[in-house]
Amino acid sequence: MKHSYGKRSMKTDPELRDSFYNSPHGKDILRCIQCGTCSGSCPYSDQMDYAPRGLFALIRDNEMAEALSSNTLWFCSSCYQCIERCPQEIPVTDIVYTLKQMAVEMNTMPSGLKMPDFYAAFADNLVHFGRVTESLIMAKYGVKHPLDALKNIPLALKLMTRKRMDIKPQMTKNRTSIRAYLERHPQPPDTSGEKNS
Amino acid sequence: MKYAFYPGCSYSSAAGYKESVDAVIRVLGIRFDEIPDWNCCGATVYPGVSEKDTMLLGARVFSLANKNGYLEIITGCNACYSTLRKVLEKLKADKAFVEDVNRRLSVEGLVFDDNSKIRHVIEVFANDVPEALWTEKITSGHKGTRPGFNKIKVAPYYGCQLTRPWNDLDPADMLEQLIEKVGFTTVDHSAKTMCCGASLAVPHAKETRPLIKRIIDGAVYNKADIVTTLCPLCQFNLDQGQAATGTAIPVTYFSQIIGLALGLEPEELGLDKLLIRVKKDVLHGRNN
Repeated sequence: MKHSYGKRSMKTDPELRDSFYNSPHGKDILRCIQCGTCSGSCPYSDQMDYAPRGLFALIRDNEMAEALSSNTLWFCSSCYQCIERCPQEIPVTDIVYTLKQMAVEMNTMPSGLKMPDFYAAFADNLVHFGRVTESLIMAKYGVKHPLDALKNIPLALKLMTRKRMDIKPQMTKNRTSIRAYLERHPQPPDTSGEKNS
Repeated sequence: MKYAFYPGCSYSSAAGYKESVDAVIRVLGIRFDEIPDWNCCGATVYPGVSEKDTMLLGARVFSLANKNGYLEIITGCNACYSTLRKVLEKLKADKAFVEDVNRRLSVEGLVFDDNSKIRHVIEVFANDVPEALWTEKITSGHKGTRPGFNKIKVAPYYGCQLTRPWNDLDPADMLEQLIEKVGFTTVDHSAKTMCCGASLAVPHAKETRPLIKRIIDGAVYNKADIVTTLCPLCQFNLDQGQAATGTAIPVTYFSQIIGLALGLEPEELGLDKLLIRVKKDVLHGRNN
């Protein structure tokens, strides 16, 4: 399955670990005492290939490719329970963000994961319009996950009857500047035929 | 009282959030100036795509407010709040990057002021509105106090990103204090700051069901009439998610119930937009 993200990484595990350790909080995981408080606090740990404690153990064991291709990164909801409870004060959520960035940059996500496609749909919407519109994100996401789209038709109809569905895209006037600020996004916008107001 | 307001992308389609905040601030005499030409903050998605891009998105929002003479911005969304607050913290710690940001923002004639601040709407209601003003507006009943409204039992729900990872909401039980101050009874439960599933709730509906059930069951078990939230995504997840949990407790915004306390009509507060609506008996305090 072809992904819309960048090129698949050719880096070796030690190289990947070095670049992770050089990220702002990378070396913090060396303080981890493997107590598992983060994993026990994480609302989605039961869905993860490796809960946070296991993820950190993998990285320290030089299994970077395995860590970056785990579904763990994409089940983090940014609830920050792990940060609040970590006795070693490791900013777990921020580290997961760094690993997500690495996974996106090097395209190490296994195909079939839902959230990378959701992120791509969101980012695409943001880059195009400067603001995002839920219905458009779901429509774009639904192209890759038609079953999810079908399942959500009853909800979409209910939201419409409650006047809660914006079909028209919300947008920022100065979209050109916003695009110029953004250095990296999964899908370069197709600006042909679009005029900026 | 006058503030720069950052609605965020979910605000206008949220179930009556905008309607109720507008109605309540009108009664209280507060003005929210929408930040002109604001952009999406990137929410919890963009920090996982690019750190630098997230910083620029946030810096543009703050600098637009700065240009209009505001150092502080107010938002009603937990995800916007945490994303923008994190951007602020990082920018304040990296002067060199601020220079770079300003050089790029100058294309639009914008400058980021590193004295910028961000707060949530609830902090304005809880900390800035004087006690006397609440008392005046509620006891005099802006349009005549709704009889029996104070019998409504409310389960407060904060969600995640207003309180974590900072742990400095002051007072820590701001939502309980506020809803009690305006006259409701609060119901205690153990899932006030548990995760609702955030952006995973729709793509991963099945996997998120236990999270939603955990929050809703606590409120139902403790005999709450309604749950009240501070964030568009929390409200949406807890409202639509109950289709799969076999429960039907209404999930409102805090501004909607505050509006009820001020004597505003349910329709003015957008309460008809909830998927699970508040029953008339509950609204009139006749269910207990």
